[in-house]
Amino acid sequence: MKTRICELLQIKYPIIQGGMAWVAEHHLASAVSNAGGLGIIAAGNAPVEVVRAEIRKAKELTKNPFGVNIMLLSPHAETIARLVVEEDVKVVTTGAGNPEKYIGMWKEAGIKIIPVVASVALAKRMEKYGADAVVAEGCEAGGHIGELTTMALIPQIVDAVNIPVIAAGGIGDGRGLAAVFALGAEAGQIGTRFVVSHESIVHDNYKKKIIESKDIDSAVTGRSTGHPVRSLRNNMTREYLKLEKAGTSFEELELLTLGSLKKAVVEGDTVNGSLMAGQIAGLVSKEQSCKEIIEEIIEEANTILKVRD
Amino acid sequence: MLENIKKIIADQLNVQESEIQLTSSFKEDLGADSLDLFELVMAIEEEYEVEIPAEDLANIATVEGVISYLKDKGVEA
Repeated sequence: MKTRICELLQIKYPIIQGGMAWVAEHHLASAVSNAGGLGIIAAGNAPVEVVRAEIRKAKELTKNPFGVNIMLLSPHAETIARLVVEEDVKVVTTGAGNPEKYIGMWKEAGIKIIPVVASVALAKRMEKYGADAVVAEGCEAGGHIGELTTMALIPQIVDAVNIPVIAAGGIGDGRGLAAVFALGAEAGQIGTRFVVSHESIVHDNYKKKIIESKDIDSAVTGRSTGHPVRSLRNNMTREYLKLEKAGTSFEELELLTLGSLKKAVVEGDTVNGSLMAGQIAGLVSKEQSCKEIIEEIIEEANTILKVRD
Repeated sequence: MLENIKKIIADQLNVQESEIQLTSSFKEDLGADSLDLFELVMAIEEEYEVEIPAEDLANIATVEGVISYLKDKGVEA
C-alpha cells in the first residue's frame, strides 16, 4: 500500500495521526512514527518553549519523521511557525485558517506543508501557494470541524487538485481507510482511535468514555458561533447547547469551554470536560498499542482493496 | 466594474444582484463565512488576474472595499 504520501513523507504506511491539542504530544507522536505512520505533535495554544521541548523529546524517542500541527488562531502561531524551521521539523500540518504567509519560509527550509482544509476553494488555493498535500477533513471528525462530510468532500477535492489528498474524519478501521482510498485519497488521518492507544497520555476516564460510547453519543456545539466542535455528550455539551439555543453570546459560551479540553485530557473530568472525539467513537472498542492499531488497519484495508482488484 | 463585481459576488455567495450594495459587508449583510470569502477571493483573482494575499483579506470586507483594492492594484475600471 504505497502512495505518493508515503514517498513524500518517507513513511511506511499511509496513516497520519491527527493533530489533537493536548492529546498529540511526544509519546503518541513518536509511537505512531515508530510504527510506520506519521506522528504529529499538536501545538494547540501552547507557548513556544513547551512545543520546542515536545519536539526534542519526540526526536529522542524516534528516528523516523514526524510532524507538528500549528493551530493558526493560537497567539503563538507566528513564533511556532519559526520554531519548526529552527528545530528542523520535517512536516507541518496547519489548522484553523490559511497558512499562506508562512509557506515561503517553510519551503526554503525543506519542510513538507500540509494544510487541513474543509472546502475545494481552500484546497485549490493551498495548492497554488505551494502546499505539498492537503488533509481534507469531513465533519465526522472530532474537535473543530467543517460543514461537509468526508464522503462528499474527498472526491470533490481529489478532482480539484493535483497534489495528494489525505482524508480525515470518520476513519476508524481498515474499512474506513479502504473507503477513502476508493474516493481517491492517498492516506488517512486518524484521531479518535489513537486517543485510545497505550501510548496516549489521555486520562483513563476519557479513554473509557470513548470505548463505551455508541454511534449517537457525539454532539456538535458552537454551530451558531461559526466555530463548531464535536465532542462526546456530557454535562458540558448539554449546558452549552442550552445556552446556545437561548442566544448566549460567543464570549460567554467561550468562558464555558475555557480549559475544558485540558480538564478532560489531564484531569479525566468526563462531566464538565470537553471529550473531543469523532463520530467513529462508537467503533472503538479496545485500547491497543499504536503499532497494533496501524498494522490492523493496514491489513484490513489491504484485504478489502485486493478483493476489489 | 461594479456590475461585474456584483455578478461575481451573486454567483459565489448565492445572493440576488439586487441585494448587493456598494456598502454591503460580505459577512454582515450577505451572510458569507470564511470559506465563502475564499471562494469569492479566488473568483476575483481569476477574473482580474491579480493575487490577493491572505493579509489583505481584512481590507476587503465590503463591495466598495474590493473595488478600491482592485483599483490600488492597477486594475482598470
